[in-house]
Amino acid sequence: MDKLAEQLRRDAQNIEVNVSDELDRRIQASVRAAGIPRPAEQPPAAPRQRAAGFWWASSLTGVAAAAMVIIILNSRSQQDHIVPAVVETSPVTPSMSVPVIDWKTESAMLTSPLKQELEDLQSDIRKAEQKVKDDIGL
Amino acid sequence: MSNELQLIDAAKAGSADAFADLVRSYRERLLRFLLTRCASYADAEDALQDTLINAYRYLHSYDPRWRFSTWLYRIAIRNAQRIRSVNVIELGELADEESDPLLHCIAASESENLWVSARRLLNDDVFAALWLRYAEDMSVNDICKALDRSASWTKVNLMRARKVLDTEMNRQRNEGEAYG
Repeated sequence: MDKLAEQLRRDAQNIEVNVSDELDRRIQASVRAAGIPRPAEQPPAAPRQRAAGFWWASSLTGVAAAAMVIIILNSRSQQDHIVPAVVETSPVTPSMSVPVIDWKTESAMLTSPLKQELEDLQSDIRKAEQKVKDDIGL
Repeated sequence: MSNELQLIDAAKAGSADAFADLVRSYRERLLRFLLTRCASYADAEDALQDTLINAYRYLHSYDPRWRFSTWLYRIAIRNAQRIRSVNVIELGELADEESDPLLHCIAASESENLWVSARRLLNDDVFAALWLRYAEDMSVNDICKALDRSASWTKVNLMRARKVLDTEMNRQRNEGEAYG
């Protein structure tokens, strides 16, 4: 045994204690008053009931939470459909916008296929040319 | 050991006399340890009484794979902590012999008792580990069980505690030589 261990052992023995008769009587009386040691108890009954209760409570809480999440998500998606204009704002910031050119145009009411419209326009141009030629006497 | 197991069985059956025989050899050892953990001799006696009552009351939960002394010390350590938490006194601050029950119970010696130094320099759990190892000759495995600590914690802290006390022992020796 090394020196330190030997010293520690010796110093522990040098601590002088004595269990007095009075303390001995106190301990004996307390032990007898404590009665027969409790046998190994079977505590599972209460914990099992509690565990089942907890299981049901946690299950119901989970279901309620899931239902709430579904309801919230649905209500949000409906709101998205109702107000698209709010959502569809211009992604371009004002500083980045291109200057608008004021074209002198009118929108055509396309009531027939484009090819037919083109032919009508060309016919109108030919008629107009003919009319101009007649007016100037060519 | 077999006698101890017989006494344990008898005590479990309700024999207070068997329990008294069972713990007779442990009482002074426990009181000595509790004295290092409590702020007064009366507190140490109360802690011993509580420890033995709890041991008797919960003897049914004793696992024979443990050494009985390990189990008793585990209860004693908890009782000492509980009494300490009520009194809220730092043991290292009990510097004078009048108020320190440990100094009062130490036989006169040329050098300071190393357990007084240990109590001043180490924290509660490390002190307890050191006590169980060197005053009670417990194995590291039993100390782990008594303190509810890991084997690595126990080994590391025992090594550190030894280092601290080695330094303290050398310091005391040098001081003794210096003063002649």
